[in-house]
Amino acid sequence: VYSPPSLVLCRLTQVRWSRYNPSFLEPEANKEFYQKSWEQLSEEEKEKMELKAVRPIKAAPPTLSSSVFSDPMISKFTNMMMKDGNKVLARSLMAQTLEAVKRKQLEKYHKAPEDEKETIECNPYVIFHQALKNCQPIIGLSSITKGGKTYQVPVPLKDNRKRFLAMKWLITECRENKNRRMLMPEKLSQELLQAFNNEGPIIKKKHVLHKMAEANRAYAHFRWW
Amino acid sequence: MAVAVGRALRLGGRWSAVAPAGPRPQTLRLIYTTTAVRRKNVGASGPEKYTEAFIKKQIEEFNLGKRHLANMMGEDPETFTQEDIDRAIAYLFPSGLFDKQARPMMKHPTEVFPEQRKIQWGEDGRPFHFLFYTGKQSYYSLMHETYEKLLNAQKYQDQLTAQDLPPQKEKKNLAGSRWLTKIELEEMLLEKLSDLDYSRFIQLLQKLLTLPCGDIEEKYIQKFSKEVPAQLKKVVIEPLKYDERGVAFSTGEGTRKTARATVVVYDNGTGKITVNGIDILHYFPVLQDREQLLFPFQFLDRIGKHDMVCTVSGGGRSAQAGAIRLACAKALRSFVTEQEVEFMRQAGLLTVDPRVKERKKPGQEGARRKFTWKKR
Repeated sequence: VYSPPSLVLCRLTQVRWSRYNPSFLEPEANKEFYQKSWEQLSEEEKEKMELKAVRPIKAAPPTLSSSVFSDPMISKFTNMMMKDGNKVLARSLMAQTLEAVKRKQLEKYHKAPEDEKETIECNPYVIFHQALKNCQPIIGLSSITKGGKTYQVPVPLKDNRKRFLAMKWLITECRENKNRRMLMPEKLSQELLQAFNNEGPIIKKKHVLHKMAEANRAYAHFRWW
Repeated sequence: MAVAVGRALRLGGRWSAVAPAGPRPQTLRLIYTTTAVRRKNVGASGPEKYTEAFIKKQIEEFNLGKRHLANMMGEDPETFTQEDIDRAIAYLFPSGLFDKQARPMMKHPTEVFPEQRKIQWGEDGRPFHFLFYTGKQSYYSLMHETYEKLLNAQKYQDQLTAQDLPPQKEKKNLAGSRWLTKIELEEMLLEKLSDLDYSRFIQLLQKLLTLPCGDIEEKYIQKFSKEVPAQLKKVVIEPLKYDERGVAFSTGEGTRKTARATVVVYDNGTGKITVNGIDILHYFPVLQDREQLLFPFQFLDRIGKHDMVCTVSGGGRSAQAGAIRLACAKALRSFVTEQEVEFMRQAGLLTVDPRVKERKKPGQEGARRKFTWKKR
């Protein structure tokens, strides 16, 4: 393929089994991307567009939509919360969580004095994104066996891994450390607001991980990648 | 002498009669061969070699047979194409066999007999090509050639810089062509390649391309690349139809897993959507399905402008929604400009989702899940 070096020969042969041919590309549902005119696109994007014109594209999955209400992060989180394939329940829980977050923020908003009203964030999507960002660890630990002994080596994490860890910690925290009677949306909204303000057990967990990585600094040179 | 003959006879050889070639009269000579010599090593000789004379004879027979067939069917032998042959054979020899390759067929010998390499060595046993003993002579000679072109391009570039002329740099059309696939390259070289060999060759070609003076080698590169037409050109968009009231409408069909849907999209509508005679609010109580139905409209900013009547059967709730979405996107193609159709395709709205339920395998509980492992 006359393709840019970034796309060179990445998958001539399939490794993981997929119903799609390896030449199929991922779909892009974001409307603004298509409304940009030709001159506004950068060099890389122009090359991508040209490549997309020739290659077949995979079908958009049922969770992907161009509407303003669909958010990829929220979909990912919903999928991780889902149990036994019950997407309906997971989605309704997510919706109730966002509603609970909004209600709590609105209560605070109405009770606050005039000058503080502007600082209170009421948009549940913004709170969700910011809370996730605050929960993401920067550095992680990886077990490397050298000379018979296994060491915990500090290692920089990829973006995907950071997001996954933040979401995983949130969900496990909400499932385990709650009262018998408390429902998931309430507990989740509580945790999200705490994480938004940089407090709470998940932020503590992140700090603990950072401290462990700092403590094992001596083994950092064991990493070879 | 008698001892030698006796020893030879005891070794189990055979006396065979051989007639010498040439103008001499028929005299036979006895030639002694042992079974060890006569026993052929079948594995080493490789697949059966078709000689050129054999192939020529087959082509003549094929052409003759084609004319006979044309006469039998009562058609003109001069303008009898391969498709006509296929139809005639299917008519004269009807077969209910499932596998198409097992049915009687009559094709040109070059399609039937695979292309084979001629014998690579002369009468004295000495190979013709200097790379014969590498085992992959065509591949290595190709690599040598390509590298030679690369060196030429670099030399040319050096000459230009020595003369202080700017190197010609024209951006080629990046996406219009693709390299030959491994199978195509194997057919071209008549030799088996490994994945690593193939990828190394493609890397070398790409390096040649990225050089500024790679344009001089364009002819050589064109041998290994193929044109890829834009995906959009492959699909034919149907024109709009008009019903009795004068309203424009268009139909579409879609599938997803086991669900089949047909959709009629009417113009000048209010955004009402009916599925199997029921309103979507009642048929699809889940928000996700309704979002999927509205996805094509929302993408094209035509939410309140069309009416939709759908019929769907089979599959589950999500599969039916996906099927209707595909059918709807296909129907909307007739209402919309070509550029927007291309945008829809890039958003993944016009591709049939090939994912189906994976079959259960024997020895496992499900498609992937294995039985519980018990130590004893």
